[in-house]
Amino acid sequence: MAMSLIDRVDDASSKRGVKRAWLILVVLIFLVLIILPSVYVLFEAVSQWDLISGVASDSGKMAMIWGAVGNSFSIAFIVTIIDVIVGIPMAWLMVRKNFPGKRYVDTLIDMPLAFPTAALGFSVAIFWGVPQGLDVPGLGIVLSPYVLVILLHLIFTYPYMVRTLSGILEQLDPNFETAGMTLGASRFTAVRTITLPLFRAGLVTGFILCFARSLSETGGTYIALSLIGKQSTFFTGPTFISELKHQAGSQAAMPELILISVLLIVFALLMLFVAKMMMDKVKIPWSKVWPKFERRISRGLAVKMRNGLSSSFLALFIIIPSFFIFSFLLIDGPLPDMAGLFKAMGISFLVAGAATAFDIVFGIPMALYIARNKDKSLGKALDMLVNVPLIIPTTALGLSLFLFWSSASLPGLVLVILGHISFTYPLVVRNVIGAVEEVDPSYEEIAKTLGAKPFQAFRKVLLPVIQSSVLAGSILAFTRSLGETGATIAIDPTINTVPIYIVNLINKFTEFNNPDYAYQAAVASITLTAVCFVLMLAVKYATRRKLGGLRHD
Amino acid sequence: MTEIRLEGLKKRFGSDMAADGIDLKVESGEYLCILGPTGAGKTTLMRMICGLTEPDEGRVFFGDLDITHLDTAERGATMLSQTYALFPNMRVKENVLFGSWIKGWPEEESQQLARNILSMMHMESRSKAYPDELSGGQQQRIALARALASGSRVLLLDEPLRALDARLRLELRKDLKGMVKAMGLTAIHVTHDQDEALEMADRIAVLRAGRIIQVGTPKEVFEDPKTPFVANFVGRSNMIQCRVVSSTDGKVLLESEGGLRMEAKDGGHSPGAEVLMAVKVGNTKISTTLPGYFEGRVEKILYEGATITVEVMVKGLGLVYSKLPNRKFDDFREGNTVSVSWSPNKAKVFDIPEGGIEYEIRVD
Amino acid sequence: MPHIRLENITMRFGDITAVSDIDLEIRDGEYVTILGPSGCGKTTLIKIVAGILRPTDGKIFVDGKDVTKVPLEDRDTGYVFQNIALFPHMTIRGNAEYGPKVHSVEEGQAESTADEYLRLVDMLDKAGHFPKELSGGDQQKAALARALASGSRMLMLDEPLSALDARVRMELRYEIRRIVKRLGITVLHVTHDQEEAMSVSDRIILMRKGRIFETGTPLDMYRSPKSIFAAYFIGETNLMECTVESKRKGGGVILRLRNDVPVNVSKSKANVGEIAILSVRPEHVYTATDGLKAHVRDVVFMGTYWRVRTEAESQDYVDYNIPADSQVPEIGEEVYLVFNKKASRVFKRPKEGLTEAIKLE
Repeated sequence: MAMSLIDRVDDASSKRGVKRAWLILVVLIFLVLIILPSVYVLFEAVSQWDLISGVASDSGKMAMIWGAVGNSFSIAFIVTIIDVIVGIPMAWLMVRKNFPGKRYVDTLIDMPLAFPTAALGFSVAIFWGVPQGLDVPGLGIVLSPYVLVILLHLIFTYPYMVRTLSGILEQLDPNFETAGMTLGASRFTAVRTITLPLFRAGLVTGFILCFARSLSETGGTYIALSLIGKQSTFFTGPTFISELKHQAGSQAAMPELILISVLLIVFALLMLFVAKMMMDKVKIPWSKVWPKFERRISRGLAVKMRNGLSSSFLALFIIIPSFFIFSFLLIDGPLPDMAGLFKAMGISFLVAGAATAFDIVFGIPMALYIARNKDKSLGKALDMLVNVPLIIPTTALGLSLFLFWSSASLPGLVLVILGHISFTYPLVVRNVIGAVEEVDPSYEEIAKTLGAKPFQAFRKVLLPVIQSSVLAGSILAFTRSLGETGATIAIDPTINTVPIYIVNLINKFTEFNNPDYAYQAAVASITLTAVCFVLMLAVKYATRRKLGGLRHD
Repeated sequence: MTEIRLEGLKKRFGSDMAADGIDLKVESGEYLCILGPTGAGKTTLMRMICGLTEPDEGRVFFGDLDITHLDTAERGATMLSQTYALFPNMRVKENVLFGSWIKGWPEEESQQLARNILSMMHMESRSKAYPDELSGGQQQRIALARALASGSRVLLLDEPLRALDARLRLELRKDLKGMVKAMGLTAIHVTHDQDEALEMADRIAVLRAGRIIQVGTPKEVFEDPKTPFVANFVGRSNMIQCRVVSSTDGKVLLESEGGLRMEAKDGGHSPGAEVLMAVKVGNTKISTTLPGYFEGRVEKILYEGATITVEVMVKGLGLVYSKLPNRKFDDFREGNTVSVSWSPNKAKVFDIPEGGIEYEIRVD
Repeated sequence: MPHIRLENITMRFGDITAVSDIDLEIRDGEYVTILGPSGCGKTTLIKIVAGILRPTDGKIFVDGKDVTKVPLEDRDTGYVFQNIALFPHMTIRGNAEYGPKVHSVEEGQAESTADEYLRLVDMLDKAGHFPKELSGGDQQKAALARALASGSRMLMLDEPLSALDARVRMELRYEIRRIVKRLGITVLHVTHDQEEAMSVSDRIILMRKGRIFETGTPLDMYRSPKSIFAAYFIGETNLMECTVESKRKGGGVILRLRNDVPVNVSKSKANVGEIAILSVRPEHVYTATDGLKAHVRDVVFMGTYWRVRTEAESQDYVDYNIPADSQVPEIGEEVYLVFNKKASRVFKRPKEGLTEAIKLE
């Protein structure tokens, strides 16, 4: 009987040598294509130290650089703290309570992930602020750029926090809390002294994800600042890099770019280590109790107020501002060059598609290895490393990657794809790890005892069970890539993805003070948003969660 | 027909010796139960036999073939776990046919085999259902069907009935053994439940802390335990610490710390030796009229259904238990004085265990 | 006055009715077990009594007071969970102290109360350990101490032994009963294990499909079950289909099994001419020189006795026991069986058929 290719792979999978070789290949590809390029700028900084120190001694330039970096980190911190405060009650509501319309709230929480941040930047600027030379029905509060950026960042970090917290809360056995209450503790006391300490890992993970997401954001921030005319006076780290590239072209200002990138990367990694340490060391105080007081805030009015505030926050600060860009459709204005827009869409899809395909082929094996080998040192190390491209701001990552490959004269499109691979890879890997961890390893083991070779067991038993998570992870990666601005600008701004297309229009708006360009940019954003929406709905469908289906005894 | 031989199997996890030199032979077509408390190393042993875990030392033979390092898929030993692990995305029929499908067997024969097995279990009507639509007992039957239809010669059952209700377990014990025997497989069934082992096994191997303590038929292990642990684990025993006074005629006279005298089967100990005597609660007799070795006061009578357990407080000894048929329930009242006795050849004498008595008779 | 009284309790989850119309009384200091197969509603019921669930309908009274709407944390009930639920980030002592602490007891007092109960369950020497360092049996003992230390006079045990080894269960169930009886605590214990229920309860409540089927002392439930389900579920029994041929005024009933085989029993719930089910426990079946002809199919060693499984000429499977020392019959051997007339029970044939009536899932 002739052996097909699949049969050959199945057979090969049982040989120990083949398994090891495959693992080595996957790890090498990960290290060489993703990790090294991401941190290469640190080495470059060392080799170009004299140029860098030249910049470092220029106090004017340094003031701007520290300002930008400082803004990035302080904004990320404030945004994350707010997310924690409003995220915990919302996660609580979603996991522990059943109420009419819960399914819709569930979808609403994820909504911001469907919007490319460019569109969000638009929405926020016209909802809250006073856009220059544009006539839109927003609230029109004159806000400092700092506050506006915070309001923007809250929107796309909120879902990360709520989802992470919900995920951990779902896995926590509610019996612990119930046990506390049977012993006489009020709900609040039980949560504070029992659930939260067990919850710590989730809080820290949520913190890291939100912080990193905020640090990375470029496009939306840039657009929002441009719309209120502050793009040349207020900077975050990533927008500073974008502005430098915009003003000076690719080669000039390299030492400044390197320096900022290094600062962003170093502080981001530092934050990651500190957060991980906090996970083990810092204790949420749980040994003291104040029964009477905590009892009062567990019930009645206090609970209703808390739920009311969470819901209002969601509506007022997250949902309405996000959708506000659609009000542009009410205004008459010129459409953008549709041919150009569709060409840009084509490039965006190509980049996103290629990156996602790579993520699936090389991310799944990585995820499988990590999930099944968390107790081995290699597994632990890879688990940590996979987070690195997630933490490093994408603009800095893009620049680093550009420098890494600079001698290899690769086409710009390929470099952009490699860049997008770097920050989407962890999304797929994390999703698949999560899914695999929930699967009983017995399935594959029993399949093997029934005669299945390792690859067969994976294909026929594990993959069907985790396929919805693979799909969800892929779509998340795809939409993330579609929405990315900073990395593309840092690597090669001539590669005309849709976000670059939009940014170019905005630049024309600020340069020529012509609202038509802003309108065109808005329409382009809405188009991109519509595409992402459809994809997100596909995710929801693929990962249908059963709400309220309990087993009763 | 496959005979299984384990030679010197060792496996260490960190500081824990899950298997500490295991030697065992399972006859072809035998239904062997490995009985032991949680943590004894039962699951590790199963995993080494089917290839999911590699032993640190030692060898595994199926017949004459050394399969110690052979791939799991090649061994022909399939496992039945307590979580059933039915593939959730496949229907019952597809689950049952998995083994033959994956090995590329001719479809006609596999389908016929699956049909036969399903009808043996009265489950043909559910062949199109998904696993989550089945009850626990039904899932267990399908998991068994899947194993039987795979063509494996060896069946490893890892506490297969643990997740089921007590009453359901009783029903399934009969079905399970019946079907395995009908298909002529060699089976190793691992459990912590001594009733289950007694009822189902051709032979029992008692496992504790990675070591096999005793192997024998249910009757042998129950009536002639080799260590105090086995004496108390396979059927509860009264354990009394004594000193040997004298021995005659295959019987030995003992004296407890409190000065009470009793008899047991001679174990070859010399007078003056410190020993531990064990007598099953089912062999410990009490009476309000007849004399015995010593007397005590009835503290509590527990009605258990077919049997009753009487707790007797004996001065200088503590609580002694007697398990009697339920028709004796009306013979005793709390507060009665009763005599306690047993047939000497039903009581066994052991050396004082090295690790101390308390550790020896712990059941967890 | 009963300590706990349930009046017309019903619990619905969407379309599913988990328990319906439950009326129940538990006396002060009584040890009551709710017994039934998985899905019968027993866990739902115990959660309602404890206050973890609020019933859809009905009321709960404790010492005469209506506590139906009283929130969980103010109910005075200790609860022991099937999966133990000791707080993993606290030591055993920390766990046991939790109850007193949240009752605003001062630090020193909380510790000494905790230690007192830990000593009672023989866990004081392990008080400084964390839960994951202990065996299942020890963990459950600690959980018991924790529940008792909060000072409740009522204790709910939610399948407390199901997760433990068989041998450990045997020891622990007596321990638990001994401790709660000493403290005079009212106990509601839920389990699917009839042996467990029989050996520790003052009273058993048999539940099935959300309703109370029967209640009684272990002795009553075993000797005089009122339904086939109870006869089958509690203990073991041989069930045989038959018709009632005749009944004599002073007692004495003649039944006909399949193939026209006659059997004598003392009394019957079914009437003459009706199809009935005969229930005889294995310990009430004896061999004789004449009687129901049967062939030995299997002989199983059970410890202190042998279980002999036979197939009778009435096409029934009949099990009986013989002492461990006896001569064991050969497979295929022919034996004659007689039943203890007084201990046999005859039930009316259930409408839904025998298989449905005794179905466990």
